Amino acid sequence: MMLARIVLRSSRGTVFISGGLVAAAFALRWIASLSVVSNLFMVGAAVVAGLPIAAKAVSAIRTRHVSIDLLVTVAAVGALLIANYWEAAAVTFLFDLGGYLEARTMARTRGVIRGLLDLAPLRAVVVRNGIQEIVEVTEVSVGETILVKPGSKVAVDGVVIAGESTIDESAITGESYPRRKCQADEVYAGTFNQSGLLTVRVTGAGLDTTLARIIRRVEEAQEAKAPTQQFMERFSRWYTPLIISLSFLILVATRNVELALTVLVIGCPGALVLSTPVSVIAAIGGAARRGILMKGGTHLEEGGRINAVAFDKTGTLTEGKPEVIDVLVLSGLARIPLMDDGVDVGDTPELRAVRWAAIAENGSEHPLAAAILRKAALLGTVPIPEQAEAIPGRGIRATFSGKTILVGSQRFMQESNVSVSHTEGAEMSSRTSGTQVMVAVEGALLARIFVADPVRPNAAEAVRQLRQTGVREIVMLTGDNDGTARAVAAQVGITEVFSELLPEEKLAKIEEMRRRGLVVAMVGDGINDAPALAAANVGIAMGAAGTEVAIETADIALMRNDLMLLVESIARSKMAFRNIRQNVIIAVITVAGLLTGVLLGGIHMAGGMLIHEISVMVVILNGMRLMSGTRVPSLKSSLPHNSLSGDLILSRPEVR
Amino acid sequence: MKTLLRSSELSCPSCVAKIEKALSALDGVQTAVVHFNTGRIEVEHDPVRASADQLTETVRRMGYESSVATL
Repeated sequence: MMLARIVLRSSRGTVFISGGLVAAAFALRWIASLSVVSNLFMVGAAVVAGLPIAAKAVSAIRTRHVSIDLLVTVAAVGALLIANYWEAAAVTFLFDLGGYLEARTMARTRGVIRGLLDLAPLRAVVVRNGIQEIVEVTEVSVGETILVKPGSKVAVDGVVIAGESTIDESAITGESYPRRKCQADEVYAGTFNQSGLLTVRVTGAGLDTTLARIIRRVEEAQEAKAPTQQFMERFSRWYTPLIISLSFLILVATRNVELALTVLVIGCPGALVLSTPVSVIAAIGGAARRGILMKGGTHLEEGGRINAVAFDKTGTLTEGKPEVIDVLVLSGLARIPLMDDGVDVGDTPELRAVRWAAIAENGSEHPLAAAILRKAALLGTVPIPEQAEAIPGRGIRATFSGKTILVGSQRFMQESNVSVSHTEGAEMSSRTSGTQVMVAVEGALLARIFVADPVRPNAAEAVRQLRQTGVREIVMLTGDNDGTARAVAAQVGITEVFSELLPEEKLAKIEEMRRRGLVVAMVGDGINDAPALAAANVGIAMGAAGTEVAIETADIALMRNDLMLLVESIARSKMAFRNIRQNVIIAVITVAGLLTGVLLGGIHMAGGMLIHEISVMVVILNGMRLMSGTRVPSLKSSLPHNSLSGDLILSRPEVR
Repeated sequence: MKTLLRSSELSCPSCVAKIEKALSALDGVQTAVVHFNTGRIEVEHDPVRASADQLTETVRRMGYESSVATL
């Protein structure tokens, strides 16, 4: 039984033994002229390489399936019967060798994702009742506390509750530059803890982690058949039976057994059926390593034809997180005494003014309030006002330590009888085009605070490179007001701006572009832009790490907030599209050439098998070029990061 | 019960139908889907009548090694 299993399985062993026998047979014939012994060796090679093929053919027949193995077996047995020993040996050996090499290279191509699987540790250190226990990750539940020791991998998804460290998140985001993590930051299973001890509260373990979702998503994507693959499979379904009938017809018509057998040998549509899948698997796997999740072959082919890109503004071209970019201290600040609540406000009048504003804004949900509070947090905890009242469209009136604080627009100040000097700070107001917030305490104007949503540092470079890769039309679709939208557009180099749009108007615009024959990619944050993303040929979601919805729904999900990744994903799609086309052409030419060659009598059994196996390997190796996990070479950017801090722009209208 | 097998030996998509037929022919197997592109084999089966070992043995008889995987 054991012996049968070894003899009946194709392996490196059968390949080498039959190869050695073929070589020995040649040596015997040409050097020693022992043709009888040589023929015996050829038969031996055919048997060693052929038995596993015959075994597969038999098990397939038992399940009533005519397999390629059967065609090769019939051809080899036929060749032996007509005493064509060399052909029998060559056909079986080449088929065995080809199958072995193809399986190995396909395994390498599929291995990109297996590599991700191996990233996740199987065990975690859980703290239960104050005691550390090492348990399987599948037995860790949400809400439990685990320890992540320095130099180990994070085993679950979770939130840091204590400790500080740097973490290499390249498994998730494709970005190998480590990120600093402290309390309240999210960590992901499969990432690598470099320096400190972290205590983490579990939010997802086992199959419910971002890494597991990525793997599932990538594999579903690889399994989704591209239109070309479906076409090729339909084609191959009648190709094999056609070849069998053709072979039979030739036998009946010409009585030429050898020609009939040779036709059988080229009946495997190997290169045809492999041409598309191998490119798709390699392209999707390679992109995943860079932090780009593509939904499937269809989108890959569509992505390769993109010639128009529509951008959402907030959170896509901009950071989506307003910041205090400038504070202009006014003369009123000097009249307000220092607070004596133990906070060291140092000698920065700007921060003192921001802190007063922050106290009034504490508890407000407004995006501008968040920016001011983040800035004030530099001085420590911001106290809560005794009383606060929001005046819609104007600002906030609050009381703290018996003093009245006003935060809001210039109009709000004037309406509240605070005297506003038009000359003081007017020069800066015109220079900084941001949203302006004024703060006054006890009727004295302390400062003008400027808040802006900064444009992403590489947005302009990304737009420029998109145009270079052949994108004809680039537009911005935003719900924001026209002035802000145009200011951002000018900074990033977009000329077509459609502002103050409702979500359904964004969708209508995308549909209009598609009606004009454009292949449109819509880039958004994946949640607010869902309808427009769905309406586009390819919907691309930014910064999808940790957002389940975006990973599941977008056609392409970018795991980092990096616009260069967008350029790369379109470039990779285009490369994959070209690669699939090349493979299909190689496969079709080979099959047509083989068929013609065999029918005209120029190609014999061994030669036919050799050409067939070579074409399969060429197609696989060509597809594997797409696996590269490094940045696509043509896209190297010379842009320094964070180079635009002095050049920021505001994206929020004056809402107060 | 659903069992996931993984094989890294599938080299030509023509083997997909062959393996699917062989698995479906087993007593206790409801459905079997072979994904050539990833090498995943999804089997819906009754573990009492067709054990995971029987599944991998069937795939082996068709000429391919495989193993049970959780993900």
